[in-house]
Amino acid sequence: MESLPASTWFWLVVPNLIIVLLSLGRLIYSRRGDS
Amino acid sequence: MDPIITTFALYIIGMMAIGYYFYKANEDTEDYFLGNRGLNAPVTALSAQASDMSGWLLMGFPGAIYAGGFHAMWIGIGLAVGTYLNWQFTASRLRYYTEVVDAITIADFFENRFRDDSRALRMVTGLVILIFFTIYVSSGLVAGGTLFENILGVDYDIAVYIAVVIIALYTFLGGYLAVSWSDFIQGSLMFLALIIVPVSVVSSMGGLGELWGAVAEMNPDLLHAFRTVEFFPGEGAVWQTAGEGVNAMDLISNIAWGLGYFGMPHIIVRFMSIDDGKQLPVAQTIGVTWVVITLIGAVFVGIIGIATFAEPLGNPETVFLELLQEVMNPWVGGVFLAAVLAAIMSTVDSQLLVSSSALTEDFYKAFFRREASDGELLFFSRASVIAITLIALYFAMAGGRILDIVGYAWAGLGSAFGPAILFSLYWKKTNRYGVLAGIIAGGATVIIWNNFFAFTGLYEIVPGFLLSSLIIFVVSLLGPETDPEIAEEFEQVREMARD
Repeated sequence: MESLPASTWFWLVVPNLIIVLLSLGRLIYSRRGDS
Repeated sequence: MDPIITTFALYIIGMMAIGYYFYKANEDTEDYFLGNRGLNAPVTALSAQASDMSGWLLMGFPGAIYAGGFHAMWIGIGLAVGTYLNWQFTASRLRYYTEVVDAITIADFFENRFRDDSRALRMVTGLVILIFFTIYVSSGLVAGGTLFENILGVDYDIAVYIAVVIIALYTFLGGYLAVSWSDFIQGSLMFLALIIVPVSVVSSMGGLGELWGAVAEMNPDLLHAFRTVEFFPGEGAVWQTAGEGVNAMDLISNIAWGLGYFGMPHIIVRFMSIDDGKQLPVAQTIGVTWVVITLIGAVFVGIIGIATFAEPLGNPETVFLELLQEVMNPWVGGVFLAAVLAAIMSTVDSQLLVSSSALTEDFYKAFFRREASDGELLFFSRASVIAITLIALYFAMAGGRILDIVGYAWAGLGSAFGPAILFSLYWKKTNRYGVLAGIIAGGATVIIWNNFFAFTGLYEIVPGFLLSSLIIFVVSLLGPETDPEIAEEFEQVREMARD
């Protein structure tokens, strides 16, 4: 069974994951003290 | 009744109905261009993303992946990061700044931000918009032409005419509110298409292992992000590895696409129209998630294409279209083919709108008819949509690779306006002379580089963006003290944008 090289997986997933998490972080930070 | 054509026709009628509904509702040019800053976070987010992602997302980009494998994904990564940075650093400040200085277009913003009563900034901004958006719109018409050629089986020339009529009629009717709302629907459809199609095809193949196996049979280097593979249709080995290792120039050029975002008028204008600036982090999260998932989906479409077609495609940019017709149920396929049209229309309409606002506000009203009534301006802006479409049609008739046409327009706008916007928003000492020189230098560098230095292999946005930034910095530094009123305004915006 063929697999995708680890470096390809890494660059496909990690930068994308980071920017989504950073955006979520900003969202949560902007809501602080609201509730 | 042909399922594909039926679904398609229904979709177009639905979008026209939205356009017509808002045609009745547009009262003045602020409505037409900005929807009176009344959009909520999800609509702002998806309309920004759908305006951004054109036929490029469903045709140009998957085509590049189909032809080059994972090595071509770097453009996608550059764009995803650029999208994030744009939401993070441009959106909020621009939203408040344009409200404080009462601007509805990018040219208004520059003129009012710098109190430029010479009108030079407005004119140069309008000119750069007209040049590069006409090219950009023509890429949309090429994509539309390719789409209709592919599904209706008519000649490319006729197909382009069909695309033009549909797109122009639709933009002409609706204006910004229609564009924003229909962009929301179109953005949702693109999103679904890019999830459902790859997932269903991969599962019918028997999983990712099977997919990688089938691709590796063509050339195992297609699976490597750091190996360059070239596409030779019609020859023995269709996918051939081009030497060993990484091509640094390629890598930098591809990632540098992300630099373009800060200067895309049709995208950043969306940031201005959100009703409450405090909702921007919500819009950002939706927008960034959308872009990440659709870009990964588009990568998979290209990769799946390599594994699916026994005969290599004559035009790699039709990979998504061919895939839909090959593997999907025709009713479902018809809906997703409509998503391709959605991607094209949602960008072209926004660009036509920005270009027509440049002609209307920056030339017609600014230089010829200062006292023009709103009704007259609305009429003129609709007429200019038609004029720009016709010029773009002329270019589109020559055809060409969507990726290349988009790349040129993208570099031009990104280099001319990106540094100018960032400096205007973040550096108090930036002055109008610096911005004016920077816009001209950025746009001119792209044109010169594209025509004379393409042999270097470096994407023209890199020198264009750098030179423009440098010039803004140096000229502003040499300029006079910042006007206290402008400085105070700058501080006020900084305070408002703090979240």
